[in-house]
Amino acid sequence: MGFRRSILNLLLLCYFVYAAATVAVEEEAEEFHEELLLKPLPDRKVLAHFHFESKANLSPSNGGRHFRLFPKSIYQLVHKFHIREMELSFTQGRWNYEYWGGFDPISRNNARPPGVELWAIFDVPPSQVDALWKNLTHTLSGLFCASINFLESSTSYSAPEWGFRRSSDSLRYGTLPREAVCTENLTPWLKLLPCRDKAGLSELMDRPSIYRGFYHSQRLHLRSSEFSPMDLDSGIRLEQTLTIVLQPGSQRVGMSYNDEAITQPSWSMSSLFGRKVNGRCVLAKSSNVYLQLERGLVSELKNLWKENDGSRSDDVTNENFLTNSVFELSVSSDRLIREVVSLDNEESSVLYLFWIEKNADAKPFDLALIWKRPVIWSSSQAPLHANRFLMGSGNERGSIAVSLKPAEHVESYLATGLSDNECKLRVDVFQVVPWYVKVYYHTLQIFVDGQIQPIYNVIEKMRVSPSEDKVSPGVLELVLKFPCDMKSAALTLEFDKGFLHISEYPPDANQGFDIPSAVITFPDFQPNFHFDEDSNQSPMLSRLKEISPALAYTEVLLVPLTTPDFSMPYNVITITCTVFALYFGSLLNVLRRRIGEEERLLEDRAAKKVGPLRLLFLKLSTKLRGRPLERVHSPPSSSSSAATKLVFKVVLVAAIASAWQYYYK
Amino acid sequence: MVEISDNPDDDVRKTSSEALRNESEASENARREEGRENDIEESQFDPNKMRKTKPGVKRLLLSLSVLLSFLFGLPFLLKSVEIYRSPLPFQDIDLLSREIESEPILFPCRFQAVFINSDAKTHSSDHAQKLGFSISDHMRELVGDHIRVCGTCGSNFTVSVTMQSKASCITNQNFDTACFWQCGSVKDSDFDVDLKNDELVDEFLASVLVGGEKCSYSTGKVYSVVVLNTDGEIKAVVGKHRHGWILGKISEANAVKTIAEVFVKVFINGGKEEGSIHGEFMPVGADGRVVLSFNLLNADPRDWIYDWDFHSVDETLLAPVIEALEPIADISVESQILYHTPKSFFSYWDDKRGSYIFNTKDLPFFVNSNEWHLDTSVAAGGRSKILHIVIYIPSAKECPLLLQLPNGEISMTNGFISPMWGGVIVWNSSNCPRTSGSKHPIRHTIPFEDLKKVIEVFLGQLRQLFGLQSNGVYVGASDRVNLLASERGFTEWELDVLSRQHTCFNLLSCVTTLGSLSRLIQSLPRMIIMDEIGKQVKFSLQAANFAQNNASVGIYQSSAVSSRQSRALAEDAFYHSSIMSISYYSFEHWFAVYSPFFLPVSLHVILAAIKEWRRYKRERSKYMAWKAIEKVKS
Repeated sequence: MGFRRSILNLLLLCYFVYAAATVAVEEEAEEFHEELLLKPLPDRKVLAHFHFESKANLSPSNGGRHFRLFPKSIYQLVHKFHIREMELSFTQGRWNYEYWGGFDPISRNNARPPGVELWAIFDVPPSQVDALWKNLTHTLSGLFCASINFLESSTSYSAPEWGFRRSSDSLRYGTLPREAVCTENLTPWLKLLPCRDKAGLSELMDRPSIYRGFYHSQRLHLRSSEFSPMDLDSGIRLEQTLTIVLQPGSQRVGMSYNDEAITQPSWSMSSLFGRKVNGRCVLAKSSNVYLQLERGLVSELKNLWKENDGSRSDDVTNENFLTNSVFELSVSSDRLIREVVSLDNEESSVLYLFWIEKNADAKPFDLALIWKRPVIWSSSQAPLHANRFLMGSGNERGSIAVSLKPAEHVESYLATGLSDNECKLRVDVFQVVPWYVKVYYHTLQIFVDGQIQPIYNVIEKMRVSPSEDKVSPGVLELVLKFPCDMKSAALTLEFDKGFLHISEYPPDANQGFDIPSAVITFPDFQPNFHFDEDSNQSPMLSRLKEISPALAYTEVLLVPLTTPDFSMPYNVITITCTVFALYFGSLLNVLRRRIGEEERLLEDRAAKKVGPLRLLFLKLSTKLRGRPLERVHSPPSSSSSAATKLVFKVVLVAAIASAWQYYYK
Repeated sequence: MVEISDNPDDDVRKTSSEALRNESEASENARREEGRENDIEESQFDPNKMRKTKPGVKRLLLSLSVLLSFLFGLPFLLKSVEIYRSPLPFQDIDLLSREIESEPILFPCRFQAVFINSDAKTHSSDHAQKLGFSISDHMRELVGDHIRVCGTCGSNFTVSVTMQSKASCITNQNFDTACFWQCGSVKDSDFDVDLKNDELVDEFLASVLVGGEKCSYSTGKVYSVVVLNTDGEIKAVVGKHRHGWILGKISEANAVKTIAEVFVKVFINGGKEEGSIHGEFMPVGADGRVVLSFNLLNADPRDWIYDWDFHSVDETLLAPVIEALEPIADISVESQILYHTPKSFFSYWDDKRGSYIFNTKDLPFFVNSNEWHLDTSVAAGGRSKILHIVIYIPSAKECPLLLQLPNGEISMTNGFISPMWGGVIVWNSSNCPRTSGSKHPIRHTIPFEDLKKVIEVFLGQLRQLFGLQSNGVYVGASDRVNLLASERGFTEWELDVLSRQHTCFNLLSCVTTLGSLSRLIQSLPRMIIMDEIGKQVKFSLQAANFAQNNASVGIYQSSAVSSRQSRALAEDAFYHSSIMSISYYSFEHWFAVYSPFFLPVSLHVILAAIKEWRRYKRERSKYMAWKAIEKVKS
């Protein structure tokens, strides 16, 4: 019996080993996907969102370090610094939450504060996290040609506990608001793609076009399970996105209305980027282009069609609407993906899918959208509009204010979300303040509808880690609960402006100092798209499906600090030393002075001071008069000789000065 | 006020003032003196040259004390603004560098020649000794002027000779016998092995000469050549271990010549020709690490995409090589596959050969640094050496791509090296020109056999980068010597050669680094030197001394390891980040801070002291003059 069982076990084991091996072989394949999402924006602009994803499984069969597609440097980075998750973004321009969307997965995932933002979660004990972070910043700054190494100093990064992505204590977060982003950051980022910008969708990245845009955010997101052996599909996922907001050129692709101000400009890929897609990246598993029409636009389109033609009221998204009365697409879409909405009264957004492989076969793929009629719509809004500004004047103190204003349609969300009368809106605030802006956290005041509220009414949870001079920045994490029917809310915090040591001022200190963006999270609201079909194929769509809270970044604040005159220390040294030296020297002279002797000397000299010419004249006059030589003792004459000397000197100096002027002009 | 009655200083313009002077003009002072000292004759006393009172010293003392207090305060000031400088052993550095530069490190080498089945009549210890001397003489002749080349044995070698026949076995060993040929350990019947098969003979001799391995820890290794007197062609072979053998009917005199040549040219010099890549181009990073970065470049993935099973290559083919090279360098391997990487010149089509040809003059443009992102490695430390090994797969429109040598022939390896950078190997896929007309690229995996060949080429390149030949034959003045190649890429005697050269090169570079560091530190007195630098310098010196000691005893491997350490530490000290701190507190800064006070004040003080001192001297001489007159009078 036992023997049979053991055989059975052995067989089972063999089977499992075999199964595991086949699974490993299947999963060993590294994957690379490239996708592009285009979306017309209500303010006559176009959003282009590139999404590249590389995945590598760290199975022992490839030694875990020899990859076909996955970039070597990223694997080494993950391996060396034990990174569990990391995100690095380079952004230029500010995301316009009002027009470009504040409540959709794209804005949540890709709207980032200006400059560089870096956060990383490490898979090491908390004591080693700081050392790894410092090394990581240096490596990243080398990899991406950026000054990320400034995040090394403990004054520039913080360790949020729950305000920014609930996470463990091994998270570090840092921003550099003033980092300029340009091609030198994009090139190393492109180097991580197997096709770089030689083929595929990245061919569109014509540098002048993409840097001409209104918003430019280049992001790199890493998630690895290398260091968690329990995880079955241990691997690294590298997600690279480039989000740009472009203004289509003024050239017309098709007919349009006269009134330019209200018409949407027609555009094509070649007019946006100046290039076309010549073919897919042959290494990519999928290579797709999407065109998204957001909810607002879809409902507006429906209305227009209803006006036009009552019979076709419902089949907005049927296949024949390539040739509708409002817009026209140059290429017929390969598939139409519709969002599944939970509520009946809501519209669903629509995605047109284009396969590059099929479309770019014969001729370069150039998607164009031609508007035939003016359409006006608005994009989805975040539940609250967050703005941050400075108050107060002068170089001594001021205060930071964050104002929150509900968007127009927020009531509908709230009404649907919570029906009972205790309707509360939860808002998380995460704010990092550099140490030289000394915030008095006890001065936190909260106004709801203009009325000051006791703090305990509003604040659910609060964590403050005050700044320490030259050591760490101040961190404020807040959970606020506002009544749903409020019209406005504001937070104010007072601060004193600190003084920096002369060597701590950055170059161009008079420009002012940046307070990094605050992160406002709305945990009750989790924008995501549900699509009507299985979209596991596309990493971008699965990213859009992910459920995570909506968030918004506030503006970067510019605080002018008192800046000293940087030559001041030397000036002070020079003037004090001169005074001291004068005092000392004169004291010494007084001590060794012989007054009687000097007087005698002066007398002698005065007596002897008779010019030779004058002497001659005197002698001559005595000869003429026949009288002996008289002692000359005439103060006026001596003074006159002194005067002539003075005149002579003045003339000499003037001559030298004029000669100088003459020769050096 | 003592000196209130002093005479006026003014003694210039005496002649001109004489004319003007009359009685009424005389100063009150003179009159007072006249009244007081009327008993002295007017003619003898000259108020401009004499005085009757002793000059006072109050002001002199005052200004001198101020000056002195300044001088005494100066050391305290300097001490207070002093910067921290860890004391460095400058003398030890100088000593070491003088030692190493004046006499290069020569390793002791021990050789033995074993004659088997030689003429039994001549067997005597005298004869053996004579043979030993004649081998040594030949060796000295061959070494010639290169006696002082670093990393060789120079004239620091011993030769022992063993003669074995059926009847007798005579040796003239002068050392412990355990390391040498054991008489009687081999019987004639043992030589049953196929003498034609070099590999078998090599293994057999290795098993016999195992004693050489045993005693390698104490006094170094023994290189041996066995002369086996048999019938047939004369053949000289050097095996994978530390021995060679000569077969055939060979006269003793010729055998001696060949033995000496094998000893000097192969075992000591590594079979290298003069003028090949020198030891200074050893491709090892300053921290003793080498990163082998293998890159598979698909020039155009639209035609075909090649993949490789690098993991198995790494484990089966590269691991033994890396293990073998361990004493010389700490080697790590990484790989990547890159796409869209065209080369940056045009090759031309050759009808006769049916392939695209590129010339050696195109080689400088082969590496397309714009498109080949061979990237430095994140995993490698700051001063590791990265050797790029590029396997280039040409696209369909330039396939097959062959390298034409300057003599018009096609290169066998289809690859080339760039010293200190790495190597390039062009691998042409088997199915080119591309036949299938499908638009979609086909994915292939490079067959393991092909990869093996590629790795063999790479090993040849690596050997070349390390300065070793790999044609398997050494052609000397008197004979051809076959060299057996090891499957580990490097034979034991080659590794010995590399270890010796490496030790030598490391010590030299350590000494130059430390020397420049000490010169730099001594020339910049305002430089802050952290304790860490001092420690690193100390340890570097220790390691260098250890390596020197080991080298003099003949322990190659550990001397190579410690020499590597010493070099790494010296470089660490030199490139220590704190060494830049000089720029933050320069002498100019110091001067700018202190000069506004000390410059004017010291001017005042010194001038005052000098003036007072001169005045005192003058007045004193006046007083002395008067005194002299007084004396004469009395």
